[in-house]
Amino acid sequence: MNTSTSSCSPRRWPLAAALGLVALGLALTACGPQSQTPGKPRIALIMKSLANEFFLTMENGARAHQKAHADEYDLLANGIKDELDVAKQVELVEQMVAQKVDAIVIAPADSKALIGVCKKAQDAGVVVVNIDNKFDDAVLAGQKIKLPFVGPDNRKGARRVGDYLAKQLKPGDKVAVIEGPPNAFNGQQRGLGFDDAMNAAGMKIVSSQSGYWETDKANQVAAAIITENPDLKAFLCANDSMALGAVAALRAAGKLDQVKVVGYDNISAVQTLLKEGKILATADQHADQIAVFGIEYALQLLKTKTAPADRETPVDLITAESLAGK
Amino acid sequence: MHSAGCLLRVSTLGKSYGPVQALNDVDFDLRAGEVHALVGENGAGKSTLSRIVAGLTAADRGRLEFKGQPYAPANRKDAERQGVHMVMQELNLIPTLSIAENLFLDCLPNRWGWIDRARLRAESQVLLERVGLGGLDPNLPVSQLGVGQQQLVEIARSLWRRCEVLILDEPTAALTDPEVELLFALIQGLRGAGTGIVYISHRLEEIQRIADRLSVLRDGRMTGTRAVSDVSLEKIVRLMVGRDLDSETLHESRTAGPVALAVRGLTCAGCVRDVSFEVRRGEILGFAGLMGSGRTETLRAVFGADPLERGEIHLHGSERPARIRSPRDAVRQGIALLTEDRKAQGLLLPLAVRANITLAALRAVAEKWGLVRRADEAGVARDWVQKLAIRCHSEEQPAAELSGGNQQKVVVARWLFRDCDILIFDEPTRGIDVGAKFEIYRLLNELAGRGKAVIVVSSDLMELMAICDRIAVMSAGRLAATFARGEWTQDKIMAAALREHLTTKPLSRSDDAPPAARN
Amino acid sequence: MQNRSRWHAGLTEYLGLAAALALLVLVFSLSTRNFFTTTNFTTIANQIPALLLVATGMTFVLVLGQIDLSVGSVLGLCGSVLGVAITQWKWPAGLAMLAALGAGVFCGAFNGAVSIRWRLPTFIVTLGVLEMARGAAHAVTRSQTQYLGSAIDWVAGTNVLGLSLPFLVALAIVAASQFALTRTVFGRYVVAVGTNEEAVRLSGIDPRPVKLAVFMLTGLLVALAGVIDTARFQSANPNAGLGLELQAIAAAVIGGTSLMGGRGSVVATFFGVLIIAVLNSGLAAIGARDETKRLVTGAVIIGAVILDQYRHRLERGRST
Repeated sequence: MNTSTSSCSPRRWPLAAALGLVALGLALTACGPQSQTPGKPRIALIMKSLANEFFLTMENGARAHQKAHADEYDLLANGIKDELDVAKQVELVEQMVAQKVDAIVIAPADSKALIGVCKKAQDAGVVVVNIDNKFDDAVLAGQKIKLPFVGPDNRKGARRVGDYLAKQLKPGDKVAVIEGPPNAFNGQQRGLGFDDAMNAAGMKIVSSQSGYWETDKANQVAAAIITENPDLKAFLCANDSMALGAVAALRAAGKLDQVKVVGYDNISAVQTLLKEGKILATADQHADQIAVFGIEYALQLLKTKTAPADRETPVDLITAESLAGK
Repeated sequence: MHSAGCLLRVSTLGKSYGPVQALNDVDFDLRAGEVHALVGENGAGKSTLSRIVAGLTAADRGRLEFKGQPYAPANRKDAERQGVHMVMQELNLIPTLSIAENLFLDCLPNRWGWIDRARLRAESQVLLERVGLGGLDPNLPVSQLGVGQQQLVEIARSLWRRCEVLILDEPTAALTDPEVELLFALIQGLRGAGTGIVYISHRLEEIQRIADRLSVLRDGRMTGTRAVSDVSLEKIVRLMVGRDLDSETLHESRTAGPVALAVRGLTCAGCVRDVSFEVRRGEILGFAGLMGSGRTETLRAVFGADPLERGEIHLHGSERPARIRSPRDAVRQGIALLTEDRKAQGLLLPLAVRANITLAALRAVAEKWGLVRRADEAGVARDWVQKLAIRCHSEEQPAAELSGGNQQKVVVARWLFRDCDILIFDEPTRGIDVGAKFEIYRLLNELAGRGKAVIVVSSDLMELMAICDRIAVMSAGRLAATFARGEWTQDKIMAAALREHLTTKPLSRSDDAPPAARN
Repeated sequence: MQNRSRWHAGLTEYLGLAAALALLVLVFSLSTRNFFTTTNFTTIANQIPALLLVATGMTFVLVLGQIDLSVGSVLGLCGSVLGVAITQWKWPAGLAMLAALGAGVFCGAFNGAVSIRWRLPTFIVTLGVLEMARGAAHAVTRSQTQYLGSAIDWVAGTNVLGLSLPFLVALAIVAASQFALTRTVFGRYVVAVGTNEEAVRLSGIDPRPVKLAVFMLTGLLVALAGVIDTARFQSANPNAGLGLELQAIAAAVIGGTSLMGGRGSVVATFFGVLIIAVLNSGLAAIGARDETKRLVTGAVIIGAVILDQYRHRLERGRST
């Protein structure tokens, strides 16, 4: 009848138990490998969505590297839940600065929005290394900030995939590009790389639309493009998940043989499709190594205090032949 | 000045809603320093008239004059600025805000946008004292007040500004007797200060006590205005319904059958203590008592709607106590409860009358595997609409569009179709106009005549005395007395209702708790 | 006589929606070359089963006066269970699908049971499950998209007159659901509980089993949608169904389902799904810029609801 309930009433205990469990969990992870040893540098790895296979691979590579070099540094790895949640990532950087880490290795969710907070970190004496998704050069120059980038050149990688595709087409063939989200720099770079290759080879790009990195959305867009352009010859997809969606659209339209598909990232799910020829090519940025390159560079900067400079990491073209060759 | 202290004059007022003529050529005048009662059946046009005066709706035709000047309020705020206030039946308070904040909601005393708490508190205190609530802390949230207190706060809200005309729409519907006295004292005070008061009520005894003049509306027309001292109750009723109603013929003598329901030692946390009673088939048992005396709580517990602490319920003379843990158990054993608040707890307002009637026994018009047989269902609904003379276009009309009395009949039909033998009515005529009230009385009589056991909870003593075979009186959670027909008088019942208050301390604050706080 | 008036009422009920749909089709047919073709319509038809099933479940939930925010994540989880069961646990396809359906029903039952037992708003419970199901999807797949190849190709690959098996199944489910909602005791209880739960309880009907059943049914429909999408893409992505809950709610609302409960129709939701699908497809066929797509989609949702209100007002004006 009344709403007043004493704090030890039976209604409250599940909540208390749940909170207790959470606290216990936090305590356990805190006692894990991240516990601090004085003198060893602490490096924070801040990634985009851990829901994305690519970043998970990246994190696992970094963790493996840390284990192998446990005496050289400690690692704090964090990611955001949603790849587009910029605000959360800004918070993460602030938390890491507050934790007084020595270096931050970051794959920014947005190529501009994270610059401010990274500058603050730099001003606080933290070494900042940018990986995977390059900060916007114009903004960096305008703000007179130097944030070294260690990572693949997405545009170059996409160009290589595009060039490989072009060899299988005739000049004048119609192609379509399924892009990443419009505000993702690496997505934009891949789109530009595809454009470079297609323009150089004289192909006609009939449509460029975003599939938001997702299979389902890419599938909808691809299906509409095929209907509208029955003589389409190829789809260039900015990641492999979207390539899966394009393949499904082609299968539904009965055009798997007529339209070629290329992707990017080389996730495990496309291996079979590459071998079967349903996806022609993809690019491998060595996700497991990107973070490691960044961490190694950060360690080097901490030791030598040299002026930071960009470093490019390798991107490999993956095709049915290259897989067979392995 | 203007003629004979005439404050507000309304002439040849007309208002239509679509094809419905809500007001037709109505004349009405209000003098300064008088209480002018406005009576009529529901839908007679009382609300429309007061809404026009208070600026909530505009009239189609006719003139309004206020203090000799043409008066046409643009909206409620405009009317209030000119000194015309209305306290509505539905309370307009915001439950989560404090009394003080509610009182001054539309112009909180502030300095650069910061609320001036001290001034707010002081001014609220003054207003609360004027309505006799000086003992209340103005910072208390409104949700903690009883309905009666909320009503008084609502009135206080009209008082802080110049108030020359005050319209009170059914102000006593939810008040306890002491609160009614408080309200009446307040009205006397305002009348003395020259405020004209329009008093809308179904309770004719109240009108005889408090009002100076009386106007009767019927079907949108004014059937007459006269001094209250000149007319009898019977005359007022005749003016309202256009025919005579003889309350003595209401009760039909019948012989009670075997015991249908026996309750022993029923106790509920905080509000019901050790209540025992029984009701027989073919009998109407009334439950009287002050608000908060535990009448409703007792019967909700019998129905399984609220948990009971102790006590046994025996059905149909069985020695084994019945197991009733939920309304579902109760209904399965033939008990029905018709709640006081039909709209919130009884009806599915937007759904058809048909769906409302069949709700409790839908399986009776459905195949075993769940298909509702539409023709059967419609047939059943039509049947009951006819039997109970429910006025509606068809059984497909949404229940929301029916009048209060017809809505009540829809709920009755639901339980009769479910074939319940024990029917508990909580305030069956609240908010129902006089004409429909008598139809409900006839229905209750008929139910008892058919061998149903009927329990009626009511705050209207005259009503209980007119229809019941026996009346149980509750006082502060206990059953104070039970009277058989012929043994009771109004004085005896009132004495019983007050018994526990005279001998012991009242139970707790829960006596004033609004009905919503029960769950 | 009565029959004809019922037909008449049925027609006017969907008139506004049909008009909106026709208008969209007309606009896109005029602005693109191949929109008004059988191929395009069958393509759209074969794309919508997942959203259609989820929106059907959502309609029941909304009519009940509740909400289910977990549908997108649960779809991802069910697809993931199916994918992992086939690729890694090497289960036979039939068993794997049963496991996926079981996961959906379990999530639905969890939503219902927790909100009933602790009297929590379903908004909160399903918000929690939205997170938990997504986490579980990533846990079972280790965040890796699972490629199934042709293991369950027959699900999406079977065609009758160009229409895929999933579309036909979804259509049958829409019909059955509409029948259940309007013609059965269960459907009446759903509407009644959504209208006034206390009145239903005091009428001697226990609303709790009704609630539980609706959430379990929704879980089942969502799982079925997950199986269909997984078959269609030949792969199970743990991120599948991101934001699907809002699309499903939008479809139901376009169809005139009330967020306050008590009112809704599965057929109208079907129209809502069609409007969203035609819009998506048409804008992609035009090659509209991303920002245009979002602006137009939002405007159409609001516009459709306004149109529906006008229809209601017209109808009411006629009846009095």
